[in-house]
Amino acid sequence: MSAAAKQRQLPNKEAGLFKELLTQYELKQYKKGIKAADTILKKFPNHGETLALKALTLHASLPFPITVGALPKQEEAEQMARTAVKKDITSHITWHVLGIIAKTKKDWDEASRAFAMARKQDNDNIPLIRDSISLYLHTRQYSSAVAGRHHYLTLRPQIRSSWLGLMIAHHLNGDIEEALEVYDGLMGCIKTDGASGPEKAQTALHVVRMCIEAGEYKDGLERLERFLRNDVLSARGEATQLKAEMLAKVGRLQEAEDTYRALLEQNSDNLEYYRGFLRTRGLDITETLEAEAVAKTLHALDLFAESYPRSAAPRRLTLDIAQGEAFRDRARTYLINGLERGVPSLFVDVKGVYQDATKMAVVGEIMEELVAELEKNASLHNDATIAPPTTLLWAYYYLALHLSHPSHPNPSPDRSLKLLGIALEHTPTLPELYMAKAMVLKRAGDPYGAAVAMEEARSLDLQDRFLNGKAAKYWLRAGDVKKAEDLVSLFTKKDTSAVSDLTDLQCLWFLTEEGDSYRRNGNLAMALKRYQALVNVFQDYEDDQYDFHTYCMRRMTFSAYMALMRYEDQLRSHPGYFRAAIAAIEIYLKIHDDPTLTEESISPEEEAERKKAAKKAQKAEQKARKAAHASGGDSGKKEDQPVPDEDPTGSKLLKTETPLEDALKLFAPLEHLASERVETWTIAYEIDIRRGRYLGALKCLSEAYAVDAEDPKLHGQILNFRRKLASATDLPEPVKAAIEAVFPSILPTETSPEEFNASFLSRHSTSPRHILGAAQGLLEIKRAIDPVPSDTLAEVIAILNQITTDNVPPAVPIMLEAVDFLRSAGAAPEQVDTFRKRCTDRAPLAWVLATEDEQKRRKTQGMDMDDEGGANGNGNGNVKADV
Amino acid sequence: MDIRQATIDDLLGMQNANLLNLPENYTFKYYLYHALTWPELSYVAVDPRGRIVGYILAKMEEEPSEEPCGHVTSISVLRPYRRLGLANKLMKQSQEAMVAHYNAHHITLHVRKSNRAAISLYRDTLGFEVHAMEKSYYADGEDAYGMRYIFTGSKAINDVERIKTS
Ligand SMILES: CC(C)(COP(=O)(O)OP(=O)(O)OC[C@H]1O[C@@H](n2cnc3c(N)ncnc32)[C@H](O)[C@@H]1OP(=O)(O)O)[C@@H](O)C(=O)NCCC(=O)NCCS
Repeated sequence: MSAAAKQRQLPNKEAGLFKELLTQYELKQYKKGIKAADTILKKFPNHGETLALKALTLHASLPFPITVGALPKQEEAEQMARTAVKKDITSHITWHVLGIIAKTKKDWDEASRAFAMARKQDNDNIPLIRDSISLYLHTRQYSSAVAGRHHYLTLRPQIRSSWLGLMIAHHLNGDIEEALEVYDGLMGCIKTDGASGPEKAQTALHVVRMCIEAGEYKDGLERLERFLRNDVLSARGEATQLKAEMLAKVGRLQEAEDTYRALLEQNSDNLEYYRGFLRTRGLDITETLEAEAVAKTLHALDLFAESYPRSAAPRRLTLDIAQGEAFRDRARTYLINGLERGVPSLFVDVKGVYQDATKMAVVGEIMEELVAELEKNASLHNDATIAPPTTLLWAYYYLALHLSHPSHPNPSPDRSLKLLGIALEHTPTLPELYMAKAMVLKRAGDPYGAAVAMEEARSLDLQDRFLNGKAAKYWLRAGDVKKAEDLVSLFTKKDTSAVSDLTDLQCLWFLTEEGDSYRRNGNLAMALKRYQALVNVFQDYEDDQYDFHTYCMRRMTFSAYMALMRYEDQLRSHPGYFRAAIAAIEIYLKIHDDPTLTEESISPEEEAERKKAAKKAQKAEQKARKAAHASGGDSGKKEDQPVPDEDPTGSKLLKTETPLEDALKLFAPLEHLASERVETWTIAYEIDIRRGRYLGALKCLSEAYAVDAEDPKLHGQILNFRRKLASATDLPEPVKAAIEAVFPSILPTETSPEEFNASFLSRHSTSPRHILGAAQGLLEIKRAIDPVPSDTLAEVIAILNQITTDNVPPAVPIMLEAVDFLRSAGAAPEQVDTFRKRCTDRAPLAWVLATEDEQKRRKTQGMDMDDEGGANGNGNGNVKADV
Repeated sequence: MDIRQATIDDLLGMQNANLLNLPENYTFKYYLYHALTWPELSYVAVDPRGRIVGYILAKMEEEPSEEPCGHVTSISVLRPYRRLGLANKLMKQSQEAMVAHYNAHHITLHVRKSNRAAISLYRDTLGFEVHAMEKSYYADGEDAYGMRYIFTGSKAINDVERIKTS
């Protein structure tokens, strides 16, 4: 017996108590367990395994979520587990406990290390192996997972899941051949299969999928056909789809075509089935087709449209494919059909073709014709039938949305509002019309008017959560956080605040929108708080997979499990994460540039408002506590409350001393998961340049350049980099050399920066974003000159003014950005004001561009947009919504 | 609108649609539980830009019972896409899958007593029947109808009939 083992051995009495302790833990008799542990520890205070089990028992006895009173105990348990390892470093128990506690804390790396150490001490311990395999999978250590599975199989060869677990580990490790061999090995050695029907089916499907992934279509097809013949797999859905795909791959095209037909019989609304069917005839509708191919495709789809009259899919697909006059005819029929049936979704459905500007224009023309015909009461079918009035109503609705669509070259919100006004006069109770009005106003730059309209829509159908959420979102856009929260709380749990309920329920849209709203209002602390909450939700999404490493082996849902693993690996490419991360990073950059922002400057009114809110929250909490007490929940004492949020106002987040590091943390996943987006690199440039990392910054420019060389932000950054370089005198030689080797491919040395900027502007003279980019570029060029020339601002403004000219579509968000840019460039208030006025002349409904005073006055005077005529306040009355 | 079986990649879109449409919401893990136990049963309706505009989240009853029984955990369609027949199609696909893959005998669901649209869909369009009334089933105290539809083509029924006729 080794010295350690000797020291570990307890006398009989204590050994008995130790066993008892284990049983108590398993029976969840935590109090008794701790007592037993204490008795042992009294005599043997250095007994590591007892200490470990006590830590484990104590930890398990804590309430969840952790309460104020239990917090010290949690720390005690964690500390105790660490001490236990120190006291007995060769015991599998002490390490195992450390691993379990780390696991409950979701510290997967630490847990994985601790389990590996535990296994070193006791290699054949089954629960230990199982846990450690899960952790290897979770932390993507696939070769270790394979080794663990191998070992497990030697210990438990008679169990199917030991084999299948190994199969999956091989698959994850990128070795499908081995995986298939394991499966065939299993099938070769079991006579009667104990698995249930669905379990066998899941396994079979996965085996076929592995064959496909390995490119072994023939093998896959043979296996699949056998599974289908033996009724292991049902022909419904996936199995048949895989069959069709493989038949096409091996060139058995007629059979593939028939198989797709069979699939369409099952589900004639599945677009992939249509695509697959057409592929078997050499028609790939995800690419641009030749005229002949177009005709063939349309013909095939027309036949399907006849066979499946209740499926919109084939008819809708023809709109994507048809061109020219054929498109016009089909679009007209499609639109008339939609209008006559009164489907509100007609617009969201058809706008899919708007990616093609010609098609968008054609649809616009058709709608104008239809409206004209309907207004004359004419028939739409060249006969004597007269359309019911609702047809015209839906036509107005469609046209209104069409005219204010962001890609409309010349949007006319006035006309949209007029059309909706007529429709509303006819049917004042249709929420859709108010929703459309809200959308038009939002796009025209009037978030407040939009919110009021959406509120009307909501009031017409109070039961509908969809309208409730929309109205809340519009209030957030209009900057009214409180109103929004009051609204959403109508559909959230009553015993907690709406925000905390929506956070618990992982409501991404709300967290982003409220973050954005706070940010626009200048409350950077709360904005950061909401964005961080969203980032935490993504951490939960990632952690959630843990239990499924074992669960899926039990349920044998292997394909779904593989899909989960792959999904989680790119989880943060989700647009929700992307948007919140970029927004939060922008705030961190702002704090870095101006650390005074971290010191909150709040007015006395705000102070009072906050105190009032805090008091209210406290009262609500007390009330909830009392209620919980009354219903026998908890004692209502403070210690029994969950640990409160330690940063309710986000001020701790805002007061960070390391804003750039915080930004980097949020950025890290984007580097790989969103490398195809230009914003990823333009934001990374801003971080790197502030960290003085010139090579890193240049790499960002190169990456951005590769994605979109004409990106307006990038354009400004190229010139910014030029300026920064000129003033960086202490760069090491190798860095200088590297920059000189690369930078000229982005900013050619032979053209002057002025030419570079002017040529950029002339290439994009009608794009608001690019005009703004050129203005920013010019400022960089001027600032690189010492002293900065006196005509700088005048020239910058001259460029910005182009945003407001008639041949440039009015883009309110860009106008807003331009105003901010002008201010930050050091323009005098009068200069900013003049520019602002130019913008509102061009976009008269754009109240967001009005001064705060103007906006306030409007709100207190009620909705005067109907009688005063827009943000200009010029009273020309051209925007009457209810004409 | 594209109607297809839901995959793991669709779950966040389903969660989003659910939070927009209904007061009964679930964390991501519950969606995972469905998709990783009965991958064939949940379906989504997707717009041309890939946005999920409708979904059905469905499962098989876990408690051992005589006949396998399907259950609709949640179904909804974003307001701008309603009355296009999407819910009807989603439901039919899920039902067919329950029978084909799990030999389901019947399917159940709960609906708010006041939800006229949904009740009309289930009863009038899909042929469900009310088989129970559950008092204060919902968090806000509203009663639920327990509704049920028995699959006529299911093997279980065929077996019974075979016994009867033999
Ligand atoms: C209930 C809901 C899912 C219906 O979705 P949908 O895609 O619009 O339904 P469908 O278009 O498939 O409707 C099929 C049939 O159901 C009935 N129906 C649907 N909506 C209806 C409504 N608002 N009023 C009356 N009947 C309605 C009709 O009979 C309809 O057939 P029809 O259009 O040919 O007349 C949808 O309204 C919704 O998501 N509501 C909010 C969430 C919800 O309540 N979910 C159900 C929880 S149990």
